[in-house]
Formats: sequence, structure tokens, C-alpha cells
Amino acid sequence: MSNRLFSALIAALVVALWLAGRLVSNEYVFFVGYAVVQYILLATAWNLLGGYAGYINFGTAAFFALGAYIAVAINKLVDLPVPVLILAGGVAAGALGLAMGYLTLKLRGVFFSIATLAMAIVFQAVITNWSFVGGASGAYVLRPNEGPWGGSYVEYLFYLMLSMAGGAVALARIIERSRVGYGLASIRDDELASEASGVPTLRLKVLATVLSGALMGMAGAPLPFYVAYLDPPSAFNLSYAVNTIAMPLVGGTGTWLGPVIGAVLLTAVQQGAMVTISSAANLLLVGLLMVAFITLAPNGIVGLVRGLANRPSTGGNKK
Amino acid sequence: MTNSIGRRAALAGMVGTAAVTQSRLAWAADPIKIGFSIPQSGGLAALGRQALLTMEIWANDVNAKGGMLGRPVQLVTYDDQSNPANVPPIYTKLLDIDKVDLIVTQGTNLTVPAMPIAMQHGKMVLTMLALAINDKFKYPRFFQTMPYGPRGKQSISEGFFDVAMGMNPKPVTVALVGADAEFAKNAVDGAREEAKKHGLKIVYDRTYPPPTVDFGPVIRGIAGTNPDIVYIGSYPVDTSGMVRAARELNFRPKLFGGGMVGTQATTLKADLGEMLNDVVSYELYCPAVADKFPEVEPILKKYQPAAKEKGIDPQGYYVPPFTYATMQILEQAVTGSGGLDQDKLAKYMHATNFKTIVGDVKFGPDGEWDHQRLLWVQFRGLKGQGMEQFTNPSAEVVLHPVEYRTGELRYPLGPGKQ
Repeated sequence: MSNRLFSALIAALVVALWLAGRLVSNEYVFFVGYAVVQYILLATAWNLLGGYAGYINFGTAAFFALGAYIAVAINKLVDLPVPVLILAGGVAAGALGLAMGYLTLKLRGVFFSIATLAMAIVFQAVITNWSFVGGASGAYVLRPNEGPWGGSYVEYLFYLMLSMAGGAVALARIIERSRVGYGLASIRDDELASEASGVPTLRLKVLATVLSGALMGMAGAPLPFYVAYLDPPSAFNLSYAVNTIAMPLVGGTGTWLGPVIGAVLLTAVQQGAMVTISSAANLLLVGLLMVAFITLAPNGIVGLVRGLANRPSTGGNKK
Repeated sequence: MTNSIGRRAALAGMVGTAAVTQSRLAWAADPIKIGFSIPQSGGLAALGRQALLTMEIWANDVNAKGGMLGRPVQLVTYDDQSNPANVPPIYTKLLDIDKVDLIVTQGTNLTVPAMPIAMQHGKMVLTMLALAINDKFKYPRFFQTMPYGPRGKQSISEGFFDVAMGMNPKPVTVALVGADAEFAKNAVDGAREEAKKHGLKIVYDRTYPPPTVDFGPVIRGIAGTNPDIVYIGSYPVDTSGMVRAARELNFRPKLFGGGMVGTQATTLKADLGEMLNDVVSYELYCPAVADKFPEVEPILKKYQPAAKEKGIDPQGYYVPPFTYATMQILEQAVTGSGGLDQDKLAKYMHATNFKTIVGDVKFGPDGEWDHQRLLWVQFRGLKGQGMEQFTNPSAEVVLHPVEYRTGELRYPLGPGKQ
């Protein structure tokens, strides 16, 4: 399937979901749906660097929170529509990705991961001391009841997030099947050999970091309107980093489909656990699934299915 | 699904089961459902689990008396994992799917995300342990039951400074220090205003990052400015660190204390033990005022054995009395207004002087108490470590407000071992 046809299908799916959503009167559906598509976007964004290039980024919360806080800061200065704030969050987080890329991408493996984790901690300290966006006390964002096209505001936020998630998935598929994607895959397999073969490794890694960071920032921008209140401990919540790593691992890294499957599966499990088991079992479930998939299916669900599909037939050919 | 008296599988087949407390009595009428998101895991779980247990005790008590309006009370709860992002979907589910009649919330950062949803549904919001939320929302159906009064931020320091200014000679200088986090920052902001109001010279005014573990440098920095009094806005870990550092460095200003979260928790108090001697902090309830609030003790008698079993605060002086009072207010509002009409309920709440186990409660126009009533206490006569000594009324002497005073301020700060 060509990228153009795939993108058209994604757009059609978004439109179909929008039409279906018109028939839904229960707002809970949009709240749960928002969580699912938010994680599709975050997991897809993480996969651009972590899955395609093999650079494990623990700093998801920094990019996500930057997008959220840029939205808060701009919203305090001037009343702009959320899509504009999303773009601003994306630009700021992309710029952070650029800076982080140049500073840290010469590190490899666990050293790179530690650097990204440190960046999130430093960034949280900065936000905690930035009183304009509420600092340690947090910021209130009073959202309107209704969205600009009718329906509730949360419904509006859901469609915005759905559109971004659809766009991110289409972008990830385009990258995966492009020269950039092949270059990133070669970096993941053997960076030295890749560089020796003429692949511009640093440039590709920085590109992936910028795109990944920008998408994470865009995912964070609507958060203040969704929660109505933003403080550093919740914006930089560890669960964002853990989930965005777990989802591609469970679904399958290195492919656009893996994060989508992982995000839908894990978010559904978590949302279900929250209203049934009602305990800390939520993150425990994520941990157990991660351990299970890393040991039993290191290539995730996508890898598992491909492995089963490619397994040679064992009977019926004997002569 | 949990049930504090009997277990029923009433919601077992539903999509998403909830924590439900029901009486064994056979009821002809449908239950009145009270829904809330409450932290049972994560950083705020210690408070949330105490509140939940107390609410279950209240529900059992009410159902044993015949319920409200002749209908049983049912609690429908979900664990928000102390994460504000989980709160909006939970309250939407409570209101749209579980169809709860009434909602309750807890904590500042876990109440704010529920506010737009409650306002959209026109629901009255009754909340506990939250500070100055309605300053932003100005929602006429919002009510908060902690006794912070109309001037939220200042309430966490007002009594402390009133006590300090009673010293002879009066203090001249003050050091302000607090964690870079929501409650502590509000506390120190309020203290700054109070210091200015009383004409005190601020000689130290700094914050420290929440993950700080070594408070020696902080205390040395404060001691270097030689303040008469020290006001601290802190969370449990730093409260412990600050007190320990002050004792280790033998730092003894005239008055040491403030809005120190953790000095209300039995385990932390027991751990610090005699190091707390002469430290001044706030309480909502303590054995020293037991005779003023005689109805609290029977509730604590029910709470304490269950709390020990569940591994939560075994004495429960901080959260349970006011949580039970919150639910009493709800009960009186429902029965007094004669139904579940949210507008009538809110009007009744504004107009009524509620009788609760923690005394009379009257709400002001902003939904907060119409006056401030935090208890400012000074720890006295503590020996070594251990929690039993805190059941002794003389372990915490109430200094402020005047009507609850059980002793005078002792100053300057004496040595830990006395």
C-alpha cells in the first residue's frame, strides 16, 4: 500500500470516528478515548527514536510537559485556540529535541538513556521554579464547557488528539519506508558500520529526536485543558515515561504498527484496571506485560505474529 | 469490589465494578449513591485510605440508623492513583455511567480536575483537605470542610504568628523556608504576608527542591542569619529532615515550626519522638481537645482497630475526624433540604450551621469555613520514640486559637532531650 493511500485511509478513519462520535452521548467514551489516542501519539513518537534508531529515551515526560507548559504560558498571555497552542508546544519540544540531540546523541546505550532521564529531572526543577506558569503551586486552566463545533470541550480535545495520533502514525509509516527509516534501522543494527558506509548518523538521529520530541510536545499541549490543573508532579509523572516505553515494547518496536497495538492494549488494560481492580495493580500490570514480552516475545506482538506467519509448515509435504 | 459489612456481588456483572459499601439490611428503596475518586495508591494514598475507611464507617453508621431519606447509602469509589490526569474520566464515569447522586472530592490537585465536570453537571462539590480552590472557580455549589477559613494561604501561618507575637520581648526577625511544592509554597507565601503584617524583618526567605535529603546546609544557612523565629513549610520527609538537622546542629531559635506536614501523622511523630519537643505545628484534632469534641472519640474507637488491620495511621487524629464531619454535613444537607436537588442542597449548605463531631461548621460565601480554626500545638514532654505517648493530652499543648488553648508557649526552643 502506498504512503498516500495509507494516509488517506487514516484520514478516512479519523472522519469515520468523528461521525461515529456524533452518535455517542456518553462523555466517558471521549475521556477514555482521549487517553488511548494520547498514548498512541506518545508511543509512536517514542518509537521514532527508540524503535527505529534503538536510542532509548527516558525523557518523554520532559517533552510532554514542555508542550503542556508552553500551552499554559501562552494561554496566560493571550487567548488562542488549542490547535495553535499544540503547534507552539510542538515547536518548543522540537527545539528541545534539537538541543538534546546535539548534547546527548554522542552518548550511546545506557549513557544516552541516563542523560535523557537527567534532562527530565532538570527540566522539572526549572518548571517548578517558573512562577509565571504556577511553579510549584500549579496552574489552573479553566476550559469552556463546549467545543467550537458544538459538543463538549473534551469531545473536541479527543478529536484534536485523534487527528494528531492519526497524523503521527502516517508520518511514522512514511519514515519507516524511506531512506531516513532505513538509515535509522542501520544505526539500530550497527552504528559504526552504518557510519562507515556513509550514513549521516548524527544528522538522522537529531532528525528523529526533533520529530519525536515535537510530537510528544504536541501530545502534551492539550493536557492542561483536559485536566484543568497542571502541576509539576503530574505533568512529569513517571507513568508517561514508563507507558511510552512499554507500549512499543509490547506491540513491537521498529514498526509503525507496534506502538499502536501496544498503546491500545495497555491503555485499555489500565483504564479497565482503574475502574475494576482499583489499585496500584495498574502499573504492576504494565510491568508484568513488559517482562513477559521482553522474555517471551522480544519483538512484541507484531514480531510474534510475523514469526507465526513465516513459520514453515511442518506437515503434509512428506513423500 | 470491597464491602465493609457484607459482600454483595451487586455490580459484579457491570462493566467496571466499583468499591461499594452497603448495609445488609433489606431496603425497599434504591440506594443514594455517593461517588468519589480517592487515592488508594501513589503519594497521597496514606491520606486517601484513612478517608475511605472513615467514610465506610460513616456509611455503616447511617445505614444502621435507617439511611438518608429512608434510602440506604452506597459509596462508589475508584482509585485515582494520586494522579490528577485520572480524575476527569473517573468523575465522568461516576456521573454518566454509575449515575451517582452526590459527589465528594479530596485534596487540592485531585479536586481541581473534577471541578469542570461537576460544574457541567450542576453537581454540588463537597471536598476535604483542599486549599483555596474556589478562588479560581467561584462556584456557588462548592464547599470545603477543612477549617482554613476565608483567607486560605494565610490560615497556615496566621495562628503561628499570633502565638509568636505573644512572646516577651516580641520577636524582631523571622526566617522563612519551604519546599518547592504546592502546599509548602502556599504556606510560606502566607507566612510572608503575616510577617509583613506583624512588622517582622525577614532575614532568610528561601525554598529547597522537594527531593532534598540533607537539611544540614539549610539549617546552617538559617542559623547564620540568627532569626528570632523560624517558619517552615514542609512535607513529611523534609519535616523530618529539618527537625533532625536542627537537633543535630543544636540550633535553638526562640520559636521553631510552621506549616509542617507530617507532624500530624502518628508514624512520623513516633519516629521523631523527643526531637519534636517545643516544636510548634498545626493540627486539626488532638487528644488535648478531646473534651471539647467528645463525639470524636467513639468514631476513633471504630476507626483504630480497622486502621491497624489495614496498616494505615493507627491513631487517626488528623484525617478521620474531619472526614466523618464532612459526611455528617452531607447527611444533614440531604435530610435538611429534603432531597437530592443540587440547587436546594447548595442553598441549604450556605444557610445552615452544621452540627458535627468537630464542632459547628458554617460556610462562608466562597464555600470555605466562615472562620479559620486550625489548632496550633507545641509538642511537650516527649521521651525517646514511640507512638503511645501521643495519646497523652499533654504531649501536644494547644496554643491557638484562644478558645481551645490548653497551655502557654514555652520558649526558646529547648534541647530535644528534656
